[in-house]
Amino acid sequence: MATTQDMVSDRLPQGVGRWSRGWLLFMALAAIGVAIGVIGWAIEHDQGMAATGMRDLGTMGGATWGVYISMVVYFVGVSFAGITVAALIRLFNLEHLKGVARMAELLTVVALLLGALAIVVDLGQPLRGLVNLFRYARPQSPFFGTFSLVVSGYLFSSLVYLYLTSRPDAARLAESPSRLQPLYRLWAAGYEPTVDQRARDRKATFWLALAILPLLIVAHSSLGFVFGLQVGRPGWFGTLQAPAFVVLAGVSGIGHLIVLAALVRRVLRQEHRIGIEAFTWLGRFLMLLLFVYLYFVVVEIFTSIYQPTTTEQRISDALLTGRYAWIFWGSVAALVLPAFGLAWMAVTRKWRIGWMVIMGLIVNLGAIGKRYLVVVPSETHGQLLPYPIGTYAPSLVEYAVLIGLFSLGALLIGGFMKLFPIVEMEETP
Amino acid sequence: MTRYVMAVDLNRCQGCRACVEACKIENNTPSAVFWMHVFRLEEGEYPDTKMSFLPRPCQHCNNAPCVKVCPVGARYKREDGLVLTDFDRCIGCRYCEVACPYGVNFFNWRNPDEAWDEYQVPFDDPDLMPVTGGVIPSYKNPDHDRLHGPEQRLTSGSAHFKGVMEKCTFCVHRVEQGLLPACVDTCPVGALKFGDIEDEGSPISTFLRNKESFQLLEELGTDPSVVYVGGTPPTSHAREIERPLTGV
Amino acid sequence: MTRRSIITAAMIILGAGLMVFAYFAGAAPWCNNAVECSNPRLEWSPAIFVAGVVIAFSSALYYSVAKDRRK
Repeated sequence: MATTQDMVSDRLPQGVGRWSRGWLLFMALAAIGVAIGVIGWAIEHDQGMAATGMRDLGTMGGATWGVYISMVVYFVGVSFAGITVAALIRLFNLEHLKGVARMAELLTVVALLLGALAIVVDLGQPLRGLVNLFRYARPQSPFFGTFSLVVSGYLFSSLVYLYLTSRPDAARLAESPSRLQPLYRLWAAGYEPTVDQRARDRKATFWLALAILPLLIVAHSSLGFVFGLQVGRPGWFGTLQAPAFVVLAGVSGIGHLIVLAALVRRVLRQEHRIGIEAFTWLGRFLMLLLFVYLYFVVVEIFTSIYQPTTTEQRISDALLTGRYAWIFWGSVAALVLPAFGLAWMAVTRKWRIGWMVIMGLIVNLGAIGKRYLVVVPSETHGQLLPYPIGTYAPSLVEYAVLIGLFSLGALLIGGFMKLFPIVEMEETP
Repeated sequence: MTRYVMAVDLNRCQGCRACVEACKIENNTPSAVFWMHVFRLEEGEYPDTKMSFLPRPCQHCNNAPCVKVCPVGARYKREDGLVLTDFDRCIGCRYCEVACPYGVNFFNWRNPDEAWDEYQVPFDDPDLMPVTGGVIPSYKNPDHDRLHGPEQRLTSGSAHFKGVMEKCTFCVHRVEQGLLPACVDTCPVGALKFGDIEDEGSPISTFLRNKESFQLLEELGTDPSVVYVGGTPPTSHAREIERPLTGV
Repeated sequence: MTRRSIITAAMIILGAGLMVFAYFAGAAPWCNNAVECSNPRLEWSPAIFVAGVVIAFSSALYYSVAKDRRK
């Protein structure tokens, strides 16, 4: 019985439907991580948010937004990559990138889910949040954009996109018998590879891509506005917030995509589908975004030290030489070094995937650092009345929840890989 | 039309913080929460120092950043000038707190009843009973459980829900009964004044007429309902000489 | 125009219409000086907005997935 099943599922490509020891270990680790996160959140829910390191601004001398909000911004940023790359592939017919399109879309969906969850864990009344946002949300609040455009519009359109582009593969998999055949039949929803259908698919995904690109700019900008519109917090108010958010979103997203693509290529032996050309393109794109972002950083530093107000000066001192200097310069280094590393590879035309993976990870650390520095210093050092300087350090509960969120992402991507080919199948079977 | 305004006479304030105590007792605010706070400030270097006091309730801004950013309309501005929080609607995102330049918002990091119990002297304790004779019970104004204003929302007092934002209400439960806010009522030197600015004959209108006044952080355009008379706004060199309790 | 295109276009228009309605007419007005500013003019308007988003993007789903009647 078992043997026939194994033989049958052998026909599924890319290891779908088969457990390997490495995969089980990976999933077990991820599940443990998720469990840690759930325990953390349970503690937070039970004791109240006093279990976190966050405290009130002003007399209490804390920061009321901490790593959770930093992570909301970061995860929504990561989601940038997927749908942009997927849309660009569709709009400009970048055939050599087809291999990474699906994992990019998946990355977008997973990152958005994590972003939404990070909002939920940050709410003092999460259940009320789920109801009241649908019931009372006000367009005047910058959170309206986060909630309506990012979480609902962006997530839903990405899901539609992921589904439409995966249907042909589902139909092909549904033809051969396997344990997952019923799932693929459902997934394919009567797909027939006729000329008509293909034309329709092309048209639908083309227009979707065209609609998603502006939505993407608006969505990431709306998250920048959450901070950029606040005149009462030195260091936040500024025109540059929204565009800088969009660009850093791209940096972290493409960084993740490079790591994921390299992993899939190696583990699933997809060297023929994800060629070096794909990495070359992603590397160049990442390099471009990095340089644009570094330009923003330079502009920001220059503006903040040339003739700052006393309160702005307090923030820039804390960032450049004070308490947050190690995070600031560490993050800048984590963005500068990969930028020049990629530039070197672009000039010499020698693209090393191993190095690119390291750079992809490093730029993400840099992105997390920069997100944290947007959120926290303006709260601890940005009081306009003569309150003392505040302090904030994440508590164990917050770290546990963060581990949980990242692990959940790994769990979802790992799970998807065993359910469906993560690399688009080739046209000819 | 009514529009409530608070005036702070800095020439009179002696920094005794009786208003802070009155507020805590009236609104049952938990440990480390100061809806009313009085800065005791110092400027300059010894021996050339200058001391000043600055009471800081919620400014009840007419162009309130916290009202603008609230995603669900739990923080709202009433026609009579009060900026209130609907404790039944707040989702606890704390956006109002980061948007507020005055630092007047306080979040219920714990269940407020628990925090309050620990903060309160346990008057039911058998060891304490002989001392007090049982005549000082823990007190909570029953008016806090009522809904307020024509809009009928739960807005007064503290100790309501874990995970919800709270701040100074100008003692809406007292003001609606024609009483003064607790801080104003308590101030032993009459440094705090409260009333309807639209009413030409009201004491506060008379007090503020032809007087030099300033608002805190006027340059931000928040247009606070709290007006300071006498003295000057705190400079950036002012430092607080005495910090309040900060542990939750 | 095929039946498919008409329904797709109708879904996009309906979705966009719902979004515009919910944002400009249904949700809380863009002000901050009265109690009315804190309440949506029509309760659950944000849900209508989200429904509009979902319907508009579902049009692509319908366009691709719906079966041909002629066959």
